[in-house]
Amino acid sequence: MLAALRSRCSSLPSLLLKSPPSPSLLDQSWKLLGLSAPSFSSSAGGARDISEVLTVAEVEKILSDVKADNVIVIPTENQSCWADVTIIATGRSDWHLKNIAQSLVYRAKQKQRGEKHVMLPCVQGYDTKWIVIDYGKFVVHALDEKARVYFNLESLWTGEPSSANDNSDKDLQNAFVKVRPINNSKKKKPVQVSS
Amino acid sequence: MIQPQTYLNVADNSGARKLMCIRIIGASNRRYAHIGDVIVAVIKEAIPNTPLERSEVIRAVIVRTCKELKRNNGTIIRYDDNAAVVIDQEGNPKGTRVFGAIPRELRQLNFTKIVSLAPEVL
Repeated sequence: MLAALRSRCSSLPSLLLKSPPSPSLLDQSWKLLGLSAPSFSSSAGGARDISEVLTVAEVEKILSDVKADNVIVIPTENQSCWADVTIIATGRSDWHLKNIAQSLVYRAKQKQRGEKHVMLPCVQGYDTKWIVIDYGKFVVHALDEKARVYFNLESLWTGEPSSANDNSDKDLQNAFVKVRPINNSKKKKPVQVSS
Repeated sequence: MIQPQTYLNVADNSGARKLMCIRIIGASNRRYAHIGDVIVAVIKEAIPNTPLERSEVIRAVIVRTCKELKRNNGTIIRYDDNAAVVIDQEGNPKGTRVFGAIPRELRQLNFTKIVSLAPEVL
């Protein structure tokens, strides 16, 4: 494990030197290496390996064990360069949300029992309606029902480009509909006729 | 380099349009705020019929600055505008979508929620 890490680290500078400075290419090279994000990204130190500790399937199983509702797994490799998989789950209450987060952390801890360095996922917003458990490669969002409807993360991540365009189109159409007040003058005439 | 009296654009659909920084959170005598810092701001301009109103005091996270952001690998990122995302006391964003490019340093600063709402992460 350590040797692998070392070899990775040693291969990093050479890759950096080789690759041209454009960010997209850099990102690809990082992905080839199997890292979710470059070393300057967040929890990279721990998160890089925490995603190897727990797999997506295991996380799904944990979520079903904790009875999280409406679990959706969205592969976001193509859409975002910072997470490969996004998992969204609903909790029934604040307490339930907390339990979901705790169980995910606990399972990671349990799996690494006896190892020298225990790596845990990054949990954000612990006492709020939206808890994010960040494993580096994949991110688990646990939301309250209302918050889930409000933020509507599914529509953002599933077919993002098309939906974004659709929304903008709809907005544009609405804007155009509102911009035509000329029809109102026509509407007045029949009222006069009727009166 | 955001300091009190700096005007910022709003990079989300919370309803505010322009913010003015009035305080930087984090230390007692802090001069400048950079990307990922939380500021206290006043809404100077807002879209009508939205929950946020003019002259309301809110908290915001800076997501873009004209002052360049340096990374360890030598990359420098510099945006055209100063922009912030409105958050509440708990750190949840007020809006549901974030506009424009967002640096990935925000994730490391525990603003994954904002990053996950953003269309593009640099």
